[in-house]
Amino acid sequence: MIGDPPEASNMRLVGTNDLQARSAYQPTIHHQGDRWIAYIGHHGGTDDIPDPVNPMTGKPEPNGTSIVDVTDPAHPKYLRHIPGQEGRYEAGGAQMVRVCDGKDLPKGDRNAVYMLRTFGSEAHEIWNVADPANPVLVTRIGGLKDTHKNFWECNTGIAYLVSGAPDWRTRRMTQIYDLSDPAHPVKIRDFGLPGQEPGATGAVPTELHGPISTGPKGNRVYFGYGTNKGGFLQIVDRDKLLSGPKEPTPDNLTFPEIARMPLSAMNGAHTVFPMPGMPIAEFARDKDGRARDIVMIVDEAIQNECGEARQMVWFADVTTEARPMMISSYTVPEASGAFCERGGRFGSHSSNESMAPVYYKKLAFIAFFNAGVRALDIRDPYHPREVGYFIPSITAATDKRCVTVDGKDRCKVAIQTNNVETDDRGYIYAVDRANTGLHILELTGAARAIAGLP
Amino acid sequence: MAGHRGDVPGARRPVGRGRLRDGAAAWREIAWPFPRDGWPAGRAFRCGIVECGAEVEVYLRPKLGFCNCDSGVADDDEVDRVADVDMISPRFVPLRAGDAVDVADMPGRIRVYRLDGSRTAIGIAVSHHCDLMAVAAQGSGDAVQIQRATLKFLEGREIRRWMAAAMEGR
Repeated sequence: MIGDPPEASNMRLVGTNDLQARSAYQPTIHHQGDRWIAYIGHHGGTDDIPDPVNPMTGKPEPNGTSIVDVTDPAHPKYLRHIPGQEGRYEAGGAQMVRVCDGKDLPKGDRNAVYMLRTFGSEAHEIWNVADPANPVLVTRIGGLKDTHKNFWECNTGIAYLVSGAPDWRTRRMTQIYDLSDPAHPVKIRDFGLPGQEPGATGAVPTELHGPISTGPKGNRVYFGYGTNKGGFLQIVDRDKLLSGPKEPTPDNLTFPEIARMPLSAMNGAHTVFPMPGMPIAEFARDKDGRARDIVMIVDEAIQNECGEARQMVWFADVTTEARPMMISSYTVPEASGAFCERGGRFGSHSSNESMAPVYYKKLAFIAFFNAGVRALDIRDPYHPREVGYFIPSITAATDKRCVTVDGKDRCKVAIQTNNVETDDRGYIYAVDRANTGLHILELTGAARAIAGLP
Repeated sequence: MAGHRGDVPGARRPVGRGRLRDGAAAWREIAWPFPRDGWPAGRAFRCGIVECGAEVEVYLRPKLGFCNCDSGVADDDEVDRVADVDMISPRFVPLRAGDAVDVADMPGRIRVYRLDGSRTAIGIAVSHHCDLMAVAAQGSGDAVQIQRATLKFLEGREIRRWMAAAMEGR
């Protein structure tokens, strides 16, 4: 209920921003000069409020991208809202956002800071946000459908754009671009699973959700397919992907693939987060296999009030790449908070994706919808362990979530922690799908000690 | 292991004694013939050659939260993806472009396929808000005959009532 305190263990609220009561998806935190700026993508508006009013302009604006100065995390300052595509819920907004400095991109303007975002479902856009309060549109890649969870290598400019391309048989696949000069995008190739390409027949493999690349050094791209059903982790040789034959034939699509690990048909892969070379304390005296390459796989819960199989977190040992193996899992115990009765979704959605040393390979943060954000000790990925959590308070802005019972809507108001990210300082940024805004958190107690934070 | 009817949210027990009578066609309910996948099992029915002119089997189940809430079933590719024809055989080839269809007051699309080079299949996907009803049918007769028998079956009062219940009381 409104006014109830947040629920927390080993995590503390530092600051908040209401994000103009817009449904939030991906936060990306960027160190920009001497400032820290949060770029936050939004889903579309609601049935009740399709275009929330931006208090800074006094006008209703379709949900897009919020830009917030979080240099002082106790007092975040909202700088700018860039409107997105008109449309409600998943049909509008500008969900995804990645940021690269121009000085890191091979052909970028050294003074620029580039923000790559989706524009609703129909396009990808790049903005120069060097002055984050006054962004300038640089370029747009349009004519698409179902654009979503992109990845952008800042040191090469290679971008893996998640889109629905004309003629492909799947809702989402990968379009690979060279965005090293953001003003002049160069298409490299289309990529997907054999059977998804134009002209194929027969069963259509599960659609893509999003990739993460380890760049030229790691030479791997990890693709997560399936969201909440029939998921796959696909491990791809990056060099073969970028340099191999590009015509989307079944052979050419298979060429760069190293392995494809199926999940249960009841689970999908929203986020696949690689953690190569993790030393495993338990294996320290073994002659072989003391360090393991791990991929954390996070499913996405879709249905409200537990109306589907549990979506959760999985850890795969991919040390022998051609034979990846699931080794452990994690879920919030439902009974610990009667989460199936609280309303809205219960289950995992996404993890932080920052590889900054403060948390990488030590702690992971999982957005778990009505169970808030969960901090996991992942130093032993064979035995992940929850060490903290934070469930924000419901506010007057928190939107309802409904299920149909006997033909009628039954609605409840619940926190829906949707996405989470961390910065190099160790702050944790959780955002809410049900319009409750941004919560900036820090670890306390034993959880903080794991990260070595003072 | 195959599921059973009780897996479907909102499902009711089969009408009659395993036999569903709609118009001239007599359909007998059979066990859901497919292995467990990401969706709960649905209901399956068979009609004999005497009643339907060809032996026809129909499989239907709701896929809640699996449809674009705004655009519904947008194109034939979506029918290929969601209509469960791949459960009959992953090797299906469309015979032609699909058509718009209305089943139990839900709009969507229907498409005809050739299975494994010999048999015929029908895929139907219709939606209500974000939810989908997936229907697949197969038979040994010609496509027109199987499509006609399938659509006539889906017009039946009892099966329409079941579909509404399975779509959470739509």
